[in-house]
Amino acid sequence: MLSVISYPLFAVSVVLALVLSISLFPVGWFEFRPEWLGLMVFYWTFRAPAQFGVLLAWCFGLLLDILESTALGVNAVAMALIAFLVLAIHQRLRMYPLPQQCMVVFLILGTSQMLVHFLKQLLGADSPGFAYLWPALTSAIAWPFVSALLDNLNRKLG
Amino acid sequence: MIPWEGLAIKTIFVQGPVPGFRLILVVLISAALIAADARFDKLTSVRSILSTGLAPVYWLGNAPYRFSDWVEGLFVSRGDLEEQNEELKTRLLILERRSLKYAALAAENNELRRLLNSSEAVDDRVVISEVVGVSPDPFSHELIINKGESNGIQSGQAVLDAEGLMGQVIQTSQFTSRVLLVSDSSHAVPVEVVRNGLRYVLLGNGESNELDLVHVPDTADIREGDMLVSSGLGGRFPRGYPVAEVSDITKESGEPFVTIKATPEARLNQSRLVLVVFPQQEPSEAIPDEAIPETEEVD
Repeated sequence: MLSVISYPLFAVSVVLALVLSISLFPVGWFEFRPEWLGLMVFYWTFRAPAQFGVLLAWCFGLLLDILESTALGVNAVAMALIAFLVLAIHQRLRMYPLPQQCMVVFLILGTSQMLVHFLKQLLGADSPGFAYLWPALTSAIAWPFVSALLDNLNRKLG
Repeated sequence: MIPWEGLAIKTIFVQGPVPGFRLILVVLISAALIAADARFDKLTSVRSILSTGLAPVYWLGNAPYRFSDWVEGLFVSRGDLEEQNEELKTRLLILERRSLKYAALAAENNELRRLLNSSEAVDDRVVISEVVGVSPDPFSHELIINKGESNGIQSGQAVLDAEGLMGQVIQTSQFTSRVLLVSDSSHAVPVEVVRNGLRYVLLGNGESNELDLVHVPDTADIREGDMLVSSGLGGRFPRGYPVAEVSDITKESGEPFVTIKATPEARLNQSRLVLVVFPQQEPSEAIPDEAIPETEEVD
């Protein structure tokens, strides 16, 4: 938990995550793109559990639904799930060393991806096998950098 | 969020109402939304409004490309520009000559069709648009283009690039639209073989450089290298645009149909400028004089 958080930074990071999730990406690497918005929800609920929570995460997920043109509510409920799981374990999570935190990022984002693909298949999408877990893995790899960067910025701006 | 935030006690372990309760709440709301959206299609207008609100995100997503174009423009020498200008002029001349011939043919064709009382007219009105984003979901092949309802675009319109058919508009908002590519696994195009007019259906299979031609009997006259053009059946795609070229035919004895792969003509994941085709007007309006009223609005 940070003693100070910067709300402008929060807004900018979420907008940036949305932009990154639609901006053009090298074609062959497409399925490895980190789940930017999930990572942001994870970070902000983890760092400021009193301010950010399930409802806000749900709203962001709804925006991602619009951008992805999935049925409204699919990504929303997945983001809410991320926020909920982080809220449930954030006190323990704080004690973990960095590699272990990355593991938790992988597990939680992977769970939410599973939920997304479960719902999509209920709605009639193809099954992509386990390939949908790649974003969770790349997000876990990105976590140390993202969290360090945002922590620094929070301390400077907050 | 917490009512006693002003107190001096640091509220480390307090999170307001139980998050579990909120989770159940949003799960219920989401379930209702998903049902309303996916099963009953009630939320199209909500989606369109929110999507219009997200226009800045689309714009920002495209900003790096605008910037790199701009920087590139800064460092082009006069000589290069002149050379390019010369080249473009030559090309324009060639194309103009071709279009003259084409206009005459189109006029003749329209005349013949009129004589036959056929309602179809050659020539379509198009709007040029730029790709500003791709779908974040790697398992769906969709693009976002920078023309929307304010340019008169409606869902169902065909989208082309310079080489061939790319897909169709499936959703519109005020300033952007979403295009489903022919390679998406939920997409199908009615096509015909140019060489002999055989009609088939071309399905996307989720690979961006491969399409499946389905239900082709063993004895059908189809060869590698055959060009497949949209047949216009179904009324969604205009007739005669190249879609794909047959690349591979596998006959398996015992199977009722041959497996045929085709390579899309359009550069599905490279093109940045696309054409959105407007449905055809009444035949009487398609007089050859105004045969090419392209509204070119390149940014």
